[in-house]
Amino acid sequence: MTSISLAAGRRSRSARAMLAGIAFASMTAFSGPAASAADTTTIRVLNWEPGGADYWKALVAEFETLNPTIKVELETVPFDRYPEVQGPYITTKSGPDVMENNAGLELFDRRRAYEELPPEVLAAGKDLITYSGGCLNFDTTKSCYGLPFGYQGNVMYYNKKVLAEAGLDAANPPKTWDEMNAACEKVKAVGKTCLAIGLSGIFPAYWNFPEVARNYLTEDDMRAMLAGKMPWTDPKMVNILKGLASITEKGWTNSSAPSITMLPDGADIFQSGNAAFAGTIISDAVNWAAFGKILGDENLGAMRWPTLVADAPLAGSFSGIESSVFGVTSWSDKKEAAFQFVKFIAGKENAELLTKVAGGISLNKNVDPSVLPKSQALSQILEIIKKPTLHAGVLLSGQEADALARGWQEVALGRLSIEDWTGRMQKALEQSPSKRQ
Amino acid sequence: MAETANLATAPNRIAGARKGFVRKETLIALLFVLPGLALAILFKLVPLLRGIWLSFLETRGFEDPTFAGLANYRTMLSDPSVHDSFRNALIAFATLPVWIILPLVLAFLLFQKTPGWKFFRAAFFLPYMIAPIVVGIMFRQILAPDGPLNAVLRAIGLAPLAIEWLNGPTSALLALTAVALWSFFGLGVLTYLSGLSTVSEEVVEAAKLDGARFWQLLFYIIMPLLKSVIGYWAVLCTSGILIWMFPLIYALTKGGPGTATVLPEFLVFTTTFQFLDRGLGAAIGMALFVFVAIVSAFVVRRMYVEGAQKK
Repeated sequence: MTSISLAAGRRSRSARAMLAGIAFASMTAFSGPAASAADTTTIRVLNWEPGGADYWKALVAEFETLNPTIKVELETVPFDRYPEVQGPYITTKSGPDVMENNAGLELFDRRRAYEELPPEVLAAGKDLITYSGGCLNFDTTKSCYGLPFGYQGNVMYYNKKVLAEAGLDAANPPKTWDEMNAACEKVKAVGKTCLAIGLSGIFPAYWNFPEVARNYLTEDDMRAMLAGKMPWTDPKMVNILKGLASITEKGWTNSSAPSITMLPDGADIFQSGNAAFAGTIISDAVNWAAFGKILGDENLGAMRWPTLVADAPLAGSFSGIESSVFGVTSWSDKKEAAFQFVKFIAGKENAELLTKVAGGISLNKNVDPSVLPKSQALSQILEIIKKPTLHAGVLLSGQEADALARGWQEVALGRLSIEDWTGRMQKALEQSPSKRQ
Repeated sequence: MAETANLATAPNRIAGARKGFVRKETLIALLFVLPGLALAILFKLVPLLRGIWLSFLETRGFEDPTFAGLANYRTMLSDPSVHDSFRNALIAFATLPVWIILPLVLAFLLFQKTPGWKFFRAAFFLPYMIAPIVVGIMFRQILAPDGPLNAVLRAIGLAPLAIEWLNGPTSALLALTAVALWSFFGLGVLTYLSGLSTVSEEVVEAAKLDGARFWQLLFYIIMPLLKSVIGYWAVLCTSGILIWMFPLIYALTKGGPGTATVLPEFLVFTTTFQFLDRGLGAAIGMALFVFVAIVSAFVVRRMYVEGAQKK
């Protein structure tokens, strides 16, 4: 009896000791991660992945290494669908902690959704060539809502192989509208599209409009546009519409142009080697690196858009703008961590990643140009961007950008006159909340 | 005495008990109805009232809205893109007979056990199971100028029919409606088949013995017997055409070329979220609500009239 009770007592003690051990082990096992989880702040970043997936993977890894207490959760949306995702977040005042935005009017329109950058964050902008596109009315003395990292703007890429096939001199691509027309005739004769283009969505406003606008507008005219003081009935604006219309009227483009978007459809036509020219941008999506990878760097060239008015003051300039800016949302409850991310975006570490991983063109002055990849198209771009001017595309309101694309589609199909297109553009201007006087 | 008193109070007690029972029953009924009612108020009535209120506000971008009276409605009435969108909606709605007849014909063929009916019963329903956004992306490729549809048309000697489907103003809208019909008709076939299962085969056989052919059977026997099912399907199609096309428009045409495929629901979206004009977007939404309500009321009323006549 005694031995049984002793044995039972020993078993009971062992069981108690075992339970205590498990409890202690559990406490020690869970206390570590619980403590670190409490110290970690996770911020959500809405973006369209400028520079590509590899660059963003590297960017997040670098940021998290430099800021071990902050985790980044990316919400990536394709560029052409971005406004449709961002709009509901802003309207409902909820969602990500950091948002990407096109610089200029689009950001000014949405400034209520962003927190004004405090001086210590804005200080990170001092190393940038420019950051005015993130500040109200392109003025760095006024409120700023976001910081950029890359330089952006429009160029026309050409496929040397297609030009050679059409009997054209790839070393001397067309410089004027007439030369372009002659080149297009030859390209069409070999059964290829001359200029790959898609007129749906926001691309006509951002990628095509500024390149024709430079032939007719001065920088003061552009500032007047931004303020809503440049009517579309002004002869200069009408000439821009005529210039755009001539692209499709002359038959330079693919027949599907009115019903497709430039990204991905129009860019696909160029990348497939079925088109001689494509008007896109210098960095981020569909840039020289992406085209060079598919077509071969040796087959890719970059040039300014051909000029319509050779002696126009801005005809030889580059429509440049900070690629995009990142700002902290007004509803975020993790503002400190979010501001830290914005500072990183403008910093040297990110600039070097952009250059090395994405082949982008950074705005940070401290990046060594020698780290840039070797490419003829990139060298041409670096020459083109030396003479910058304002980017007229980012000065258009959402209504104007939409009316521009839809009007051009109908003009291309011969269903709308320039006069009626002008009327629609003027109406869109009058209906733009950000441009109402 | 006591017995008399008991007899006198008995009916009162019964009446009281009945009253109590009725009250309890009403209370239980109310308890059952209440959650549904609360949900309907919270998720239907409140958003509707908020939408109506928003349509009277001027919203400058993201700044605080101000009361604007009927200004948004005036803007809407003078806006050509709004006119275009409702005109497009009417054109799309005009295809309703096809939406009603096509699935009915196919369902009747299946009902008659036409060779291969088992395969087609599954095949017809398949498109309905593909997400509309995916359908849109698929057909963007199929309907491209050099896409598979035109390649087939050219290969079989029908080159003149190989048009640029999404470039023409009429062809784009009809192509969009046809794609929506392709995506939706499987549900119609299934709906009609469930209705046909209530039709006696003897009636069909008797009509056949009297010499009725396929179309005669369909129009003079089947359609009168399925009037309520046809009415129900017509209401579903009406809402399908007028308020469920958004993902297809978004993926297929983005409303283009021009405004050729902009339907009011797409315009509500672009006005609200792209142009940031929530007040005007709400006003267009209200106009669409009234438009759909009128059209649906007409169809539903027809259904109830038919139902009442049957009784």
